[in-house]
Amino acid sequence: MARLAVRNLTMQFPGVWALDDVSVEFATGEIHALIGENGAGKSTLLKVLSGIQLPTSGEVQIEGKTVALHSVKAAEHHGVAMVHQELNLIDTLTVAENICLGSEPNRIGLIDRSTMRSIAQEALAQLGAPIDPWTPVGDLPLASKQMIEIAKAVAQRAKFLILDEPTAVLAEAETIALMRLVHKLKDEGVGVIYVSHRLDEVCALADRVTVLRDGKVAAELDGAGQRDQIEPHNLANLMVGRELEDLFPPKITSHPDEVVLELDAVVLDGFPAPISLKVHAGEIVGLGGLIGSGRTEIAEGVIGMRHKVSGRLTAKDPAYVSEDRKGTGLHLSLELKENTSMANLNNYGTLTVDEGKQVSAAEAWIGKLGIRAPGPRVAVQSLSGGNQQKVSLAKWLDTNPRLLILDEPTRGVDIGAKSEIYQLVHELAANGMGCLVISSEMNELIGLCDRVLVLRERRLMGELRGEDVTESNIMMLAAGVGASGVA
Amino acid sequence: MKGFLSKYGVLVAFLVLCIISAAWKPDLFLKPENLRNIINQNVPVGILAIGMTFVIIKGGIDLSVGSMIAFVGGLGLTLLNRQMANGTPELTAAMIAAGAMIGLGGLAGFVQGLIVAYGRVTPFVTTLIGMLAFRSMTLALANGGEVRSSSTEVWPAWGSDGIHIPWIKIADGRMDLVITYAIIAFFVVIGIASFILNKTRYGRYVIAVGANERAARYSAIPVERIKILTYTISGIAVGIGAIFLSGRMNSVASGSQGLFFELDAIAAVVIGGTSLRGGYGRIWGTFVGVLLLGVINNMLIFAGVGSHWQGVVKGMVILLAVLLQRERRDV
Repeated sequence: MARLAVRNLTMQFPGVWALDDVSVEFATGEIHALIGENGAGKSTLLKVLSGIQLPTSGEVQIEGKTVALHSVKAAEHHGVAMVHQELNLIDTLTVAENICLGSEPNRIGLIDRSTMRSIAQEALAQLGAPIDPWTPVGDLPLASKQMIEIAKAVAQRAKFLILDEPTAVLAEAETIALMRLVHKLKDEGVGVIYVSHRLDEVCALADRVTVLRDGKVAAELDGAGQRDQIEPHNLANLMVGRELEDLFPPKITSHPDEVVLELDAVVLDGFPAPISLKVHAGEIVGLGGLIGSGRTEIAEGVIGMRHKVSGRLTAKDPAYVSEDRKGTGLHLSLELKENTSMANLNNYGTLTVDEGKQVSAAEAWIGKLGIRAPGPRVAVQSLSGGNQQKVSLAKWLDTNPRLLILDEPTRGVDIGAKSEIYQLVHELAANGMGCLVISSEMNELIGLCDRVLVLRERRLMGELRGEDVTESNIMMLAAGVGASGVA
Repeated sequence: MKGFLSKYGVLVAFLVLCIISAAWKPDLFLKPENLRNIINQNVPVGILAIGMTFVIIKGGIDLSVGSMIAFVGGLGLTLLNRQMANGTPELTAAMIAAGAMIGLGGLAGFVQGLIVAYGRVTPFVTTLIGMLAFRSMTLALANGGEVRSSSTEVWPAWGSDGIHIPWIKIADGRMDLVITYAIIAFFVVIGIASFILNKTRYGRYVIAVGANERAARYSAIPVERIKILTYTISGIAVGIGAIFLSGRMNSVASGSQGLFFELDAIAAVVIGGTSLRGGYGRIWGTFVGVLLLGVINNMLIFAGVGSHWQGVVKGMVILLAVLLQRERRDV
């Protein structure tokens, strides 16, 4: 059994200790979960392990020998590979080319395509993934793309595989397939370092759990001796360092009659059938379904980013908080104050942009939403995922919407920030905001929403209310079996 | 946060270069007329570079400006000549011609902007076509030769005269230093451009589109309009530059006027620290970039380096500037 260890690792950034004397040991043939809130030091530790960043002090040891992981290549050479949360595949290349990217088999300097093919096939077969090696990656669904990232690591014969939030973009069924795969890797002797915000997954998978908090190791639980302590509530408490109140605030039962969103037999571009739905002021409506079932596309239709073929659509001051913070949600390279005013710049001065107003508004949002940021002038890319999500929320709340569409509002967000976001949505609804919540997380739909609409293949399959909002009912509608309670 | 050197490196480099120049050839470099000439000679390219800064921050490029400055200048002078032949007073004709150059530049930029924004043709290809077409039209206009202005007083005066400064004497005290209209116009353009980029909503939107076009679109920013306006600004800058470039010689040489100006302008913008990837940039940086290139040329002449070698030195400076300012590699 090979071991990968970090000893007395510290990492100092201006003003913060991202890692403070951290020592952890990983072993092959084991699934070792790494959890912690955003900003706890997980990402930094992963960067050190995968050779992206050298620590300020401390060392990385493999088999007791100190190694310098000064590049991704060096880490891979030592058998450590990482699958990033944001997939790093090249869409225009084929599956095989992606799997061999950076270490192409060659014969007298020319790429050896048949060897490349067999390397890819072997890796894919090992994962039990029936994917043709010559398919362009861009044509594949997200879950398959992730499989290819993992195949890439397998092809490099990685002894340690770091999976950073692997299920964040996956739907329920795909998640189950991935968990099976992780087990398979473990059985084949790979050491899996599994980073996730989904504590139920962690509890189901992990042989060992390390909890990071404020750059330190808060707890290390061994599945052999402390199995009973590896359960979501306890882990959440360890992460946050305090007793968590219930994640979801109580539901509000009565709503005003005012309708803030109405789709009356609306056919959107690319949709097979008309869709009708209503959201009232003060209501929290969930929009469930598998990835690709048309949830985001409906939101795009509401804000006018997707062409409407027919039907009547009325939305009162809609705001859409995108699921894709990096791509469509935020300007990561720009300052916080620029982001929070970006969608509402018309209200910041007439001819010139009033910077003082931008700053004071940004400061107000930092206070109101509890955004952990050094100030309004910080570049948003330096903030953690949860805080970026809050900036994204602030950006749209700044426009004073009546209808708030939240697309995967807690993706890649830690449990503390999650609870804060739920609380916020609850407060907004209590003050008359109509909320449409798009989510792949069953808990979120069940715990947060007053009623849930479920889509499948771009058709509205039904509506669930009250007691009927259960995981199995949502799954039945989403998967297309036993359509009960059709609206 | 960017380090001091990557942020103000161009300014430091410029100052160091000036100090070296002053120490090496104090009698030549520090002469008021020499300093004036460094700026004056570079006004046309400088004005193009200011317009180019917007385009590059937006995430585009404008290769057409060098040809366009000849085309717009040639058309403007043709108009000037026709007006004067019809008996319009020289000053009026000159004003009409100047207005026409600015208007034509703006229109040419607007059309390229339309092609980029709604035709979805990449800026590189669109403005490459512009570069070819404007040069070819200029050659056709002048039949391969040059368009000479028939204005003998006003137009050449706009090109080379300016405000006399009686308390600074040049040429061994025999003449007043003249701050040319071109220099004054350059500073006015810089002032307006800084204001637009840093203070107006449009300026924010240019940065936003350059930093992340999709997020800008989702923020309900009129991305197409911003793009079109950006190329229009670049075209207007070309028009202003054309007035002074054509005024200097009182003519437009169809084959050589403005040749490679687009590259000098892009070089100045890049040296000034504006990101070629878009989303970040500054007007003052471009200004310093223009001056830096000017001082280098000046020094090379003093050093007796032949003009054939100047391109190599310029290239090295650009490389150095980009190396200093490159962003940290994010994996």
